[in-house]
Amino acid sequence: MKNIKIKTICIAVIGSFIISSCEDFVEINTDPIGNKTTSPAQLLAPSLVNLLSVNMLRGRTFNNELMQVSVSISDAEGTVNRYAFRRNWADYTWNGLFSELTNVRDIYALASQPEYQSNSLMGISRILEAYAFSILTDTYGDIPYSEANKGKDGIVEAKFDRQKDIYLDLFKKLEEANILLTAGTAIPESSDPVFNGDIAKWRKLGNSLYLRLLLRISGKTEVASAVIDKFKEIVNNPTQYPIMTTNDDTAKLLWTTSSTSTALYSSPYTSIRGLDFRSAISKFFIDNLRDWGHPVLNNAYGRNGVNRWGISTVGGNLVGVPSGFSPGSISSGQSAFYSYDNVPGTGTANAGYSLQVDPYTGIIMNVAEVDFILAEGILRGWITGSVETYYNKGILDMIQYWIPTYPAANLSDYMTAADIRWEDAQLFEDRMEALHLQKYYALFLIDSQQWAEYRRTGHPVLPINGPGTSFANGGIMPARLYYPVIAQTANRDSYNDAIAIQGPDEINTQIWWQKP
Amino acid sequence: MKRRSIHCLESFFPDVTRLRQIVGRAFLFFEFNKVAITVFTVALICFQALMQETFAASAQEIITISGVVVDDQDSEPLPAVTILDDSKKRLDVTAVNGSFTVQVPKDTEVSFNMIGYTAFRRVFNASQTNVTIRLKADVSQLNEVVVTALGIKREQKSLGYAVSIIDSTALTNAISSNWTDALSGKVAGLNLVRNSGPAGSNKIILRGENNLTGDNEALIVIDGVVASASGSRSASPSGGVYGTSGDNMPVDYGSALNDINPEDIESVTVLKGPGAAALYGQRGANGAILITTKSGNTKRKTLGINFSQNITFEEVNRKPDLQREYGQGLGGAAYYSRGASADGPNTNSTSSAWGPKFDGQYYFQWDPELQNTGLTRTPWVAKANPIDAFFKRGYDSNTSASLDGNINKTNLRLALNHNENDWIAPNTGYERTSVALSLNSKITKKLTLSGKATYNNKNSDNLPTTGFGNQAYMYWVYFSQPNVDPNYYKDYWVRGAENRQFINITTTTLESPYAISYEYLNTQKRNGVVGNIQLSYQLAKGLLAQGRVSLDQNKNITEQMRPYDAAGAKFAQGSYRIQNATTYEKNADVLLKYDTKINKDIQLSVTGGGSMLRNEYRKGESRADGLKVPDFYDLSNNINPIISVPDTSRYRFNSVYGLVSASYKDYLYVDVTGRQDWSSVLASPLRTADVGFFYPSVNMAFIPSDFWALPKTFNFVKLRASYSQVGSGSTRAYLTAYNYLPANNGLYPNGSTANPTILPALNLKPLMTTTYEVGTDVRMFKNRLNVDVALYKGNTKNQILSRVVDRSSGYASAVINAGRIDNKGIEIGLNGTPIQMKGKNSFQWTATATFSANRNEIKELLDSSVVLRNSPIGNAQVIANVGGSMGDMYGLGFVRSPQGQIVYKDGMPQIDPDPVYLGNSIPKFKTSLGSTFSYKRVSLSVLFDAQFGAVGNAFSLARIGENGKSALTLPGRYNGIIGNGVILNTDGTYRPNDVIATNIPAYYKTVYYDNAEGTMFSTDFVKFREANLAYSLPSSFVKNMGLSKVTISGFGRNLFIWSPWPVFDPEFGSLAGTDIVTGFEVGQLPSTRTYGLRLVVGL
Repeated sequence: MKNIKIKTICIAVIGSFIISSCEDFVEINTDPIGNKTTSPAQLLAPSLVNLLSVNMLRGRTFNNELMQVSVSISDAEGTVNRYAFRRNWADYTWNGLFSELTNVRDIYALASQPEYQSNSLMGISRILEAYAFSILTDTYGDIPYSEANKGKDGIVEAKFDRQKDIYLDLFKKLEEANILLTAGTAIPESSDPVFNGDIAKWRKLGNSLYLRLLLRISGKTEVASAVIDKFKEIVNNPTQYPIMTTNDDTAKLLWTTSSTSTALYSSPYTSIRGLDFRSAISKFFIDNLRDWGHPVLNNAYGRNGVNRWGISTVGGNLVGVPSGFSPGSISSGQSAFYSYDNVPGTGTANAGYSLQVDPYTGIIMNVAEVDFILAEGILRGWITGSVETYYNKGILDMIQYWIPTYPAANLSDYMTAADIRWEDAQLFEDRMEALHLQKYYALFLIDSQQWAEYRRTGHPVLPINGPGTSFANGGIMPARLYYPVIAQTANRDSYNDAIAIQGPDEINTQIWWQKP
Repeated sequence: MKRRSIHCLESFFPDVTRLRQIVGRAFLFFEFNKVAITVFTVALICFQALMQETFAASAQEIITISGVVVDDQDSEPLPAVTILDDSKKRLDVTAVNGSFTVQVPKDTEVSFNMIGYTAFRRVFNASQTNVTIRLKADVSQLNEVVVTALGIKREQKSLGYAVSIIDSTALTNAISSNWTDALSGKVAGLNLVRNSGPAGSNKIILRGENNLTGDNEALIVIDGVVASASGSRSASPSGGVYGTSGDNMPVDYGSALNDINPEDIESVTVLKGPGAAALYGQRGANGAILITTKSGNTKRKTLGINFSQNITFEEVNRKPDLQREYGQGLGGAAYYSRGASADGPNTNSTSSAWGPKFDGQYYFQWDPELQNTGLTRTPWVAKANPIDAFFKRGYDSNTSASLDGNINKTNLRLALNHNENDWIAPNTGYERTSVALSLNSKITKKLTLSGKATYNNKNSDNLPTTGFGNQAYMYWVYFSQPNVDPNYYKDYWVRGAENRQFINITTTTLESPYAISYEYLNTQKRNGVVGNIQLSYQLAKGLLAQGRVSLDQNKNITEQMRPYDAAGAKFAQGSYRIQNATTYEKNADVLLKYDTKINKDIQLSVTGGGSMLRNEYRKGESRADGLKVPDFYDLSNNINPIISVPDTSRYRFNSVYGLVSASYKDYLYVDVTGRQDWSSVLASPLRTADVGFFYPSVNMAFIPSDFWALPKTFNFVKLRASYSQVGSGSTRAYLTAYNYLPANNGLYPNGSTANPTILPALNLKPLMTTTYEVGTDVRMFKNRLNVDVALYKGNTKNQILSRVVDRSSGYASAVINAGRIDNKGIEIGLNGTPIQMKGKNSFQWTATATFSANRNEIKELLDSSVVLRNSPIGNAQVIANVGGSMGDMYGLGFVRSPQGQIVYKDGMPQIDPDPVYLGNSIPKFKTSLGSTFSYKRVSLSVLFDAQFGAVGNAFSLARIGENGKSALTLPGRYNGIIGNGVILNTDGTYRPNDVIATNIPAYYKTVYYDNAEGTMFSTDFVKFREANLAYSLPSSFVKNMGLSKVTISGFGRNLFIWSPWPVFDPEFGSLAGTDIVTGFEVGQLPSTRTYGLRLVVGL
């Protein structure tokens, strides 16, 4: 009798455990902070900020150094300007852009669903894809593309695609975007810190980007004629393919002037230590501007006695560092970018004088670049028109981007005084140099476009390997960056397949569009 | 713990090669042993049958003896005393009241045996009743009854798996602010991965890492309460340890486990293998540490009061060798000048010390009075070493008082503890107060109620930031210049801009360490309760029901304050962040235990039970990055909108389990266990079923010494064997569903989201660990030599691991079930008494030694190679490859000739663009040696331990090597250096390197900074771990003062470290999230030696 009682207790106790075992476990194991799904618009703002952050930060430490804009004189990590750098410095662009492309591609996927259907967001996603993937492939060459960002579908070791295939597919995506954006379906304004929901401007950005990419591979024989035809088609059909025409069209994300790096829409540059931001300016970069009397270095157009680009003077003079200077050989003070916390005369942190806290540094693409693209199209005879018109417009648009109050009427005098007027009579190469020297300044701070244009055209001619300089890599401009070592180890087979086709994973291995 | 040293071990101790050979042989023996033991056991059983017949033949006159067995000291009856005849035949076992009745042939010598007591032998030549046998406690065996899984107390003799017990004195002899430190060197197979600092956490790993990432820690059980909530570390969440461009750097706030007062610990039982911990399921797969806190002494007639006071000093015990011969400057600098001066342009904007030699010259340098460059030249000399100058002597005071006794049928113990710690960096430390209460009440004869509760309170005004970046001390240590006096950094605000702008002595925005100490504050307030209530009821004879509820709850409020101009001015307007975290784990379990005697020889115990576990962690964090008014830390002082960063985790386990223990006579014991778990962390929207998993274990102990009359040399011999499986679903929640998260920590006002960076495993399966273990426990020479050997082998399948994936997948890491890892090892524990002079209080030497070795091999993986961890330097990674072993490190290394020499070109070593194998971060073996010498009332104990066979990457050395601060960078300045290696000739042959490298900074940068191999160092060490000299005052003297005992001791910990490791402590760990990872050293805080005085007074 007693035994039966005990057994009953036993069974009841154990039984109750089994019954209660897994009733609400799925709910328990659901993260209450996140969401199973999201609307595509909610993904947009952070994607734009993060893409720009990666491009601005890496543009500063790589493009600006390679292209002799600035010369980091810190001996710790300061040799990019001499073309010597550690392999893993190249990881940042890869890691940053690929991570963000998950959100970018997801915007398209979500906006395609009936629930969140939005042609505009689909189109914006395509444009951002073209923007980010073109920077990636221009930086590394062949990259994962068709299988990229598919970890969710079980692909964590994406195969690499050829650069040619990537470019041709990006063109398709930009065509698609142009169609998707035609209707101009509204999107939430707050989700779009770039154009505040102005879909027409997105469409102009897409087509302008299309021109940038077409021009980039136009030297490649196997695609040249098709690319040039498309270039003509876009330029000649402004209704079907609207492009940027004024600074109002420029794709930029205006930052706040906050110096708190974690604040909403604070400039990505605020995450850089003031010390590091105060890079010295190269002699090449500053001498041209100084000699021309360029408005961005004219204190009158700046603020509180500091020029518009926040470049310091040494004893009232703008002094640059010679390219390839030997370590320890800097014999006097140099002009440098002011950091937000190092403002002359104040001795205290104060925002508003430095590019570090300037709202205007977040540029995806500007109208001046489009002007110079068109100028080159005319110069190369693809389209008709006056090179000079677009050349002048490019110079003015560049000045007015930074100094909106600059009177257009002053341009002519400035160009005459600077001796930079367009001269059709010059040799083709000289005209290219003149055009690209101006374009170089127009592309200031725009991801790594200066570097890409230099690799495409060889312009502007940089003072590399001058006497008394010490350049690594034989003074040869790196053609690409290394793949991240993590790609080498965590995606070993695909990596090996890629280098078997493209060539060794070295900085002098030319990428597809660089070769004729 | 009393152990004995073996002299041969001592003699080959330093001989690494020899040890390796022996380990190799041991593995062979292991394979053989498995088969041998099985055969042996079967043979024994057959033998036994034969012998019984033999003895039966020689019967004669039978007498009957009955009586009672009592403890000699307190005359309490002793149950379960085994009574044997002279042929070791079992006659009877005493009942609960100590009574027995035996029938033996006349003139038989009868022995009364009980573990923990000296056997008593007596020859009976006539029948007798009311005999009282008094057994004397054997001091060397007091701990033989051990707490096993689920709190079940067992005779150690009957266990078929390896168990180690550490008693309280071993933990308090040389007290440490984190009592888990005291486990080092005391248990074979126990490893501690430690993070330094005042609240530094330890991670306890038994028998090597079973799991590739994440869950590989031993389960911590406090008085039956699974203390996973207390055990979880609470690091500040933001940035990584390499933080020059990151966010707030991590702070080790310690785990609540650290807060346990070692004085309250009665004993620690270490269940090393899964076999032992099988009943704990889930988290028991990595072994378990069972902590039993002290209870009231049931035998005490009066109230007992104990008081102890420890005073401990702490100082840096080892440091990297910083050069003091050359000052700040770039390579080849002919002079130094802070700012442009008459001597030339500024040379101050470098972090390097490749500058002019200290040669008695005079330069324009920093003038602390002017807070600027001096107006006159001052001597160019080396100033104080930054480590010596900045870190001071730390102080720790630990006061404990306890009260215990009996009131009616309740015995209780109440303990109070207060601990104050002033760490080696200025303005860091904490204070801690705890109250522990233990109650045990026999309500009726059958009903017992017991409860234990500990309340802990920990407060800190500032704990150091760890890692390598502007906010951390070590960044300054490695970047400060030999020519700058560390004292200059004490005056860190620019005059007139106090609280707004820091001075900049070297123009490299180097944070003053004093500013870090006084202005970058990380505070903590933690309140925690661990407790349980247990009710047991004797339902019937042999049937016991037990119910228990336990709670482990912690509330942890932490703050980080950053001043204006902080962190190289990345927090230009300062920052204030506060976290409020609550963690709890509730556990309820029931247990039914039924003991029965099937017949005279076979006893059976059946236990069944079930448990429910609820674990939840909830954290709210508010951030005011950017303050309106400097130096006022409050959320209302925000310039920017306050950002809220929540975090949470929760899981539940439900389990049923059973244990059947059978014993045959007193020499054969078998346990069979089974457990079924249902784990919420496996539940996925895709699959709701299948969250349960079952696993069994079997173990067996055979006692040959009770079976045969072995030669007198052997007092006790046990052979044990076990097979066990343990499943685990890990304890990381939310890994099974794809989840969009608030973008940038919820920075965006309109609820912007982002895809996760960790790819979930929608179909997550439990991992399963299978282990075979054999072992032996031999006690010889009147228990003066005890040897315990365990050999184990097993594998873990379906590892749940977080794998680093290439970002082109769109994600940073992926959770996967992958692989099979085989693990095998040996553990040897020796203890003994080499010298025992006759007589009470005469000279005695007891010695202990441990040895453990572990090998693992990765047998299967999802892919051929899985990247597990990354380092900030030289692309070093921990990578799992099939055929490799866990902890294998790869990274950039030198190009080597076919003969293995480094290849040089133009004087510089060449770096291989493909990652190379750099070594393994897990030690091949560990060993320890300890001795206690006592004479009369004085005792001296020492403990040394050592590990061999692992390497680590020293990031700190990479920095001080690259910037010329390390003494290793002195050779070659400035006549050039010829690196040791070869040069590739044009014909493909090699010749010894004959080219002088003249660019010394570039040379050392290539060696130490541009690759990972240059900073790989052996982490072998020998440590003088503990020393203790104790003196007990004579009892007559003490009694005159009205006290019961007074002991005074002096002690030291981590007194010396002998190691080739170039930074601080070769036993380092770095914080990574809430984990502590090995292999990569990143800005490790100084390790310390502690020494102090201890006073114990009993009333």
